[in-house]
Amino acid sequence: MRASLTILSLAFGAALPLAAQQTSVVGVRPLAFGGLFPGIPRAVLRTDPANSAQFDLKGHPNGSASLTFLLPAVMTGPAGATLPLVFGGNDGGFSASQSIASQVGFDPRTPYLATFASNRASVFLGGTANPSVSQRAGTYTGTVTLTVVFF
Amino acid sequence: MSRHGLILGVLALGSAAPLAAQGVLIAPHAVYIDHARRSGTVTLYNPNPDPAEITISTAFGYPVTDSLGHFALRAVDRPDSTLPSAAAWVQAFPRRLTIAPLERQTVRLLATPPAGLPDGEYWARLIVSARGGKLPLGGAADTAAVRVQLNLVVNTNIGLAYRKGPVATGVALSQLRARRVGDSVEVWSRLERRETAAYVGTVRAALVDSTGKVRSTLNAPIAVYFVMAPRYALSVARLAPGPYWVRYELVTEREDLDPAVVLQAAAVRDSVQVRLP
Repeated sequence: MRASLTILSLAFGAALPLAAQQTSVVGVRPLAFGGLFPGIPRAVLRTDPANSAQFDLKGHPNGSASLTFLLPAVMTGPAGATLPLVFGGNDGGFSASQSIASQVGFDPRTPYLATFASNRASVFLGGTANPSVSQRAGTYTGTVTLTVVFF
Repeated sequence: MSRHGLILGVLALGSAAPLAAQGVLIAPHAVYIDHARRSGTVTLYNPNPDPAEITISTAFGYPVTDSLGHFALRAVDRPDSTLPSAAAWVQAFPRRLTIAPLERQTVRLLATPPAGLPDGEYWARLIVSARGGKLPLGGAADTAAVRVQLNLVVNTNIGLAYRKGPVATGVALSQLRARRVGDSVEVWSRLERRETAAYVGTVRAALVDSTGKVRSTLNAPIAVYFVMAPRYALSVARLAPGPYWVRYELVTEREDLDPAVVLQAAAVRDSVQVRLP
């Protein structure tokens, strides 16, 4: 995707402002809990390269951005059934180098101030799904919202 | 449903189709509108392989610093007449749109300021909310299955300024201080905006040793709307003990903004000594 972004920036160079004048927040990968067993929590670490959520940010070097997650406590399913989600104090991760292996952990339940080392960075999110032993069959949905304020 | 069936059903969670990426590229990342034209534009580009549902809104707020020197946005839901808000009279057209994959869309921002608006600079925040298209879940015929779908919504919040008549800016620098914390020197200052427009520029800090050699530097963009007390950190890892000077200045230079919108002001400077043990 990064390659296509660059290509597009070049292709539309005449129409878009300079790359340094652009900003973006792109959700790369959703938080995926994979196979669940009734009554057994499923935790996804923010360092999980396949299942953690990842957002790529584009800002400007040494600039700051405030990251605020709005996290669901439950996912809602059929007939009002719910499937609880838990986000802990270390489930958020910020990487100024966009490396999943080099993150600074933070509490995604409170705003986090990120500083760009270059013009790109990534945010990662883990969490825990807690299906009950009698989880009702059906589709459960929830929404994770990330608000990024550029200063 | 048997426990076995339940387990199989819940295992089917793993087969739920992953959601596509969300979010858009926004340019420019700060919008300036002048009273003569009363309009501006932002360009949105969807880099993802799926359509992006976009909602655009305005709000009022401005950057501040907290007690730790961190930047934060002070949002004001109902700004009174003492606050220079443009949020109520700047609108995006369209406010809702869908951008096809790998396509871009220009959004026009139209200002309808109240009659008799005094000269000055008025502020708002532009909030671009992106939601990806929902993908159908697989295995719909299996009524025993349990599936989950976590949607992602991405809100990008950028600054907007409306300028009427002559505007000017400046900044007063005071209370510069520095202290060593771990492998850094923390630098604090008090910054107070002067004149009628927000001060938009760059903070430059340098750590200089007793021979005059620069040992560590920092450049950071800054926007002072009222008063700020930011904290910055200069790396001092592996530096020899002894006295150093922190040179600190603010200049109205921003490589990330169109030079035409950056108001010029004289640089302000100060310095303070710090000793590394």
